Amino acid sequence: MSAAGRIASDLTKHGLKPFDAHECSQLNELKIDMSGLNMLAAWGASGDIIMMEQMPIFGGYTGDVEETTICDIATMIASFIIFDCDIHLDGPIHIRWGTTTTRETLKIAAHAAMALDMNTDFLLANQYYSLAGPCTEMCLLETAAQAITDTASGRELLSGVASSKGVIQDKTTGMEARMMGEAALATCGMEVSHVNVVLDKILGMYEKNYNRVPQGKRFQDCYNVKEVTPTDEYIDVYDGALKTLSNCGIDL
Amino acid sequence: MTAKRYIDIYEAYDRFYEGERIREDQWDYSVVPVNASLMKEKYDISFGKDIIPTDPDLCDRLFLAGVDMLLTTGFYNTDLGRVMHITEEELFEGLKMAPKKLTLGEGKDKRKCKARRGNSRRKPIIQGGPTGAPVSESIFVPMIQSYAQEPVVDTIVSGVLNTVNGHHATTNTPWEIRATMSEIRNVREATLLSQRPGMCI
Repeated sequence: MSAAGRIASDLTKHGLKPFDAHECSQLNELKIDMSGLNMLAAWGASGDIIMMEQMPIFGGYTGDVEETTICDIATMIASFIIFDCDIHLDGPIHIRWGTTTTRETLKIAAHAAMALDMNTDFLLANQYYSLAGPCTEMCLLETAAQAITDTASGRELLSGVASSKGVIQDKTTGMEARMMGEAALATCGMEVSHVNVVLDKILGMYEKNYNRVPQGKRFQDCYNVKEVTPTDEYIDVYDGALKTLSNCGIDL
Repeated sequence: MTAKRYIDIYEAYDRFYEGERIREDQWDYSVVPVNASLMKEKYDISFGKDIIPTDPDLCDRLFLAGVDMLLTTGFYNTDLGRVMHITEEELFEGLKMAPKKLTLGEGKDKRKCKARRGNSRRKPIIQGGPTGAPVSESIFVPMIQSYAQEPVVDTIVSGVLNTVNGHHATTNTPWEIRATMSEIRNVREATLLSQRPGMCI
């Protein structure tokens, strides 16, 4: 979006208020454009809450997991020190799959969060892009795996879920956010060594499906749109995911 | 040594404007990857099989590698084609000044976001929404309502209205402005319908 579009979001009595999250994106990697600087100048002068966003690419310019994590940490420090944000929205993403829920991208997110958690008071968020679509167990397991990772590695805010990689129209629903929240609640306070065992099991459940991803359903096909309630089918899928997660060692 | 002043957006722009010129492809394919590899080697960074690290020494070395990466590399402005740098003093003074807590939303729907410190028993803030995914105009409000009505969801992240009054919201046109304002109005309506008008969006 342009700076004009973003800044217009504060206009009128229905617009964003200072207590809403004003989101500005950096570019990959360690880059920004004038549009970003102009948004930040306007929001900073208005006293708005600023959420700086960037999704480091695993397999991109920085290559492997360790290099991408180092760059991710530098990116997050820059958000606070150079761009004066209030909270940073991360989102390590896999160059091949376009998702944040792979083993490698979870590892990057967790290592970066822990390194900063132990050495700063930064408020850190992470965003969710799953491979599978709504109303599938895989989508819910991907979401749970990332929520467990983010919660156990000290993140302050979880933001999602852009199911179906966030690119297919209408393929996102509130049920995925319910899973994100419930998985986070169940993880709070767990021993990290146990969390790692659980994560390994959950990842093993969905990694094998990368080449035959369940596409899932659109919002209007898995919700009663008028009543805004999930269909019985989606409730059954959700209950199935809860059972699978329990077998992996975490009860939601 | 104490930094003279904290960096703000105006100081950042001035440093970009006066910074070293470099081509963007050099930055992407040489400066960033070479420095990341150097930091990996310098700080002896190697991950094991665990998703979440349990070695505090590795976490400290990773932090220092990230600090060194930013100090050594700087930051690039794609429109100006220039690089700005910060000093070690500015970085460490800035770390102390970063916000430690935040209030999101208002009224009974407001949420306090505070540093959690490891796997605290306090749950993180749950921001629910399509996260920028495209959404049809006809179902935008009920879709956002599906997030706002979930008790576990604290704040909303919007999706992108695919059209506004049937028009595509092309960037940097009046339709983008209209789509942005329409999108926010619709998100507010969804929070109102969920009896949570003060949610942070």
